[in-house]
Amino acid sequence: MRMLPRPWLLAAALAPLQANAADVNAGPPTALSVSLYRAGTRAAEALELDRLRGFALVSERRQVRLPAGESRIRFGGVADGIEPASTIITGLPAGVLEKNEDAQLLSPAALVAQMLGREVVLVRTQPRTGVVTRSPGRIRSATDGIVFESTEGIEALRCSGLPETFSFSAATELSATPTLSVLVRSGAPATATITLSYLAHGFDWTADYVAHLSPDGTTMDLGAWVTLANANAVSFPSAQAQVIAGRLDRYADRDVAVPVAKPIIAQCWPRGTTTDVAAASSLANGAPPYRLEQSIGIADVRDMPVAPASIARLVEEEQLGDLKLYRVPQRTTLTSRQIKQVRLLEQAGVPVQLIYGADLVANQDRPWLTAAKTLRTKNDKAHHLGLALPSGRVASFLSRGNTLLLLAQAPLRDIAVGEQFEIGVGESADVQLRSTRGPDAVNRVEIHNARSSALAFELRLRLDPGSQLIAADHPVRTRHGQPVFEVQLPAEGHAIVRYQTGQPRQH
Amino acid sequence: MRVMLLPVTMGVLLLGCWPAGAVDHELAITIYGDDLALVQDHRRIELTGGRQRIEFQNVSARIRPETVSLAASGLTILEQNFDFDLLTPAKLMEKAVGQEVTIVRVNPGTGAETREKALVLATNGGVVMKIGGRIEVLRDDGLPVRVIFDKVPDNLSARPTLSVTVDGARSGAVPATLSYLTPGLGWRADYVALFNEADSRIDVQGWVTLTNSSGTSYEDAQTLLVAGTPAQVSDNPYGMGFRPRPRPTLAQAGTESGSRQRLGDFYLYPLVQRTTIANLQTKQVSFLDVHGVPAEHGYEFRNHWLGTTESAQSARSVYRFSTSAHAGLGDQLPAGILRFYLRDQRGAPQFIGESRIDHTPMGSTLSLATGDAFDVKVQATVEKRTAGGRLKWQTQMRYSLTNALPRPVTVDLLQEGLWGDTRILEESQKSTRRSADVAEWLVAVPANGSSELTAAFESRH
Repeated sequence: MRMLPRPWLLAAALAPLQANAADVNAGPPTALSVSLYRAGTRAAEALELDRLRGFALVSERRQVRLPAGESRIRFGGVADGIEPASTIITGLPAGVLEKNEDAQLLSPAALVAQMLGREVVLVRTQPRTGVVTRSPGRIRSATDGIVFESTEGIEALRCSGLPETFSFSAATELSATPTLSVLVRSGAPATATITLSYLAHGFDWTADYVAHLSPDGTTMDLGAWVTLANANAVSFPSAQAQVIAGRLDRYADRDVAVPVAKPIIAQCWPRGTTTDVAAASSLANGAPPYRLEQSIGIADVRDMPVAPASIARLVEEEQLGDLKLYRVPQRTTLTSRQIKQVRLLEQAGVPVQLIYGADLVANQDRPWLTAAKTLRTKNDKAHHLGLALPSGRVASFLSRGNTLLLLAQAPLRDIAVGEQFEIGVGESADVQLRSTRGPDAVNRVEIHNARSSALAFELRLRLDPGSQLIAADHPVRTRHGQPVFEVQLPAEGHAIVRYQTGQPRQH
Repeated sequence: MRVMLLPVTMGVLLLGCWPAGAVDHELAITIYGDDLALVQDHRRIELTGGRQRIEFQNVSARIRPETVSLAASGLTILEQNFDFDLLTPAKLMEKAVGQEVTIVRVNPGTGAETREKALVLATNGGVVMKIGGRIEVLRDDGLPVRVIFDKVPDNLSARPTLSVTVDGARSGAVPATLSYLTPGLGWRADYVALFNEADSRIDVQGWVTLTNSSGTSYEDAQTLLVAGTPAQVSDNPYGMGFRPRPRPTLAQAGTESGSRQRLGDFYLYPLVQRTTIANLQTKQVSFLDVHGVPAEHGYEFRNHWLGTTESAQSARSVYRFSTSAHAGLGDQLPAGILRFYLRDQRGAPQFIGESRIDHTPMGSTLSLATGDAFDVKVQATVEKRTAGGRLKWQTQMRYSLTNALPRPVTVDLLQEGLWGDTRILEESQKSTRRSADVAEWLVAVPANGSSELTAAFESRH
């Protein structure tokens, strides 16, 4: 066992950071870039600032002056949601010895915890006379309340009903925000421009589409907003912002320390009094969480005039490997706890097919069922589209005179160029169908139309594996290996489709 | 160094951060990847001779007490205790039941103080005290009352404390080693891979990421990281229920041995210099930096059974590279997460996904998926399924592949779920049977175009 005399060991015991490395603060970030990624799991729900599950890649440039020898560069003002393992630092003249991220924040509780066992001054003020008494003492415990020791004996903080607090004399090495530090060794003093990039959670974005269906139902105007959200307490001024669409793999970090900032919990002994009554129900206390849906996202859209909205600058699309990157064309400021919207696309006169239809499991009785309506179109130039559409939500509207009518909100998956896609636009109670299976194994599907116009109806069957359609009285086509009947429904009339399935054998 | 304002009146030897009893100590920490660490604390302890209690205060707050051992010459261990009874105001009052405390009443009007002795009777819900001949509820009237306790009860401490009662044969300082296992300290590797699309090469940096959530800081510790998972007894050997089989990342296991230190079948990564691992700290130390390693980018689509996909599904975007010494990273890779970056059109690296890798020997070939390809999709369709004789089924599959990229791609199409009893009757392109369960086709899809593949399978059920 080595027992070397180490004169600085005592100092190290006082300050958790190594004492032999000089602390250097990196300059403020410049040339900021924020790329937002979506939560892979979120389908089409509204953004909630307190529950953002996406993340961002933040890149920034900082100036730092390094002395010769070992120094610890501290990067203040990084996003609170930083994933320390993901940090990349380039531009250092010397090698990086180690990177550290301290999640122990400067908070009242952390300060007290740090001062555990050390000398503090208890400041007590007489409320009436204003006389302040300062008595030296030592914090003995800071779990679930604070116990301190003074010349008079052992007391608990803030249990007496007198205004009392601690005054800390020593400087603290805790910082206000999670601080990233890098230990480097430099041969000579140097000034370096460092590029720091890291992934951070507490960001998200969504694509919100608005489809305006023309009164005759043959075309739609499709517009979309990209909604960016930053739940971090850090702002990104004048940043280059990008959003990235597509699905990429992430793995949960289960062993990363979560930054904790706690108030001083001056918990006391039981303080029940003789006049206590049972606490009233706290149901009324829970304020509803902030939901974007009610404030910015859809609300904007509902209030939107029928006349075309003022032209917004669209984001620029580029290919990033197998993902899509949308660049906000101008530098933008993403402030702390903010939701921001930029225009994704604006396409007018997209030809669509309005289709009534229903999905049925073959050979099963089904009581009356409402038909679903979908808009079908293709993502290509001929259909006035032809750009990658990131997944999101589509709110579809029908204009009626000067007012808009919300038809439906539906999710949309990632649509590549050239793909056919469908947008759900709700149900029609005027078109109903039911299915009955007769004793002769013939299925009978009745489709009723209460609308004043004839329409095309699509009946999609789902067959059991191994079974096939062996007889039908309507023309049938195959889609994804399953039969689809195309039925013309007369105005205020009905149609009946009969079909039979079987399991043919090959010999 | 530090002047104690108040004398510490404890009848035991305290070893810890405060009050500093012994400073001559050395910490050695061996961290395993699986959230487990062995802490060895070498220090000198002062023996008084005879029966004595030694307290260790700055041990991990998540110490596994059953693994503690204190090794020192000339002493016999009588018992080891780990006390979780923490010093809180409520506990302080609870332990004072039946004892006398001093109360100081402060007149809010005048500020005048009156001191009285009070006997604590009960602390259930509120504090009931006997003062002189009267019974009172503490601060029932809301007026300020200070309560002063004479001392802290013996077994209450600020943080979970390990104490060892020993019988020393002689008095004087002896070297001792305290060792224990603790969760909360862990490490894994984090890799940063920058893929260069132009020449199909990657730069890979490897970092050891050490995390400490054990509730304690370890000062100036000699740290050794062990790659490899020591077997541990699990309370639930059957795991957490069914999970889908993850996509394999190791395409070919390697057969090269490198220059890294080993212990048995574990690889050792000692940190070069002593380091302080603060509580709630994440620390990274570099161990690998390789530039310009050839890598391939491709697409992979797995159809897990002979079934129809709901709509066109994205193929997986896959990167392949070697860890061999001559055409690869040239190192063993400890388990961790590999993050892929790609430069955008302005030259800024952007994150494009990550993949988890297991401990990978040198000379292996890795095939890592980073995410779904936006523009390359596959629609698998069961065209027809017919019974073809006794217990035999014929399935006609069609795979439609689309590519919205302005360049041709090749998709590695894998049909799984063949179970070894399925044979391919006919196919529009020759397949390779990777295993009894999996057939593989390499399907070329033209730029901004589509391809079709059909195959007929015969299986027994």
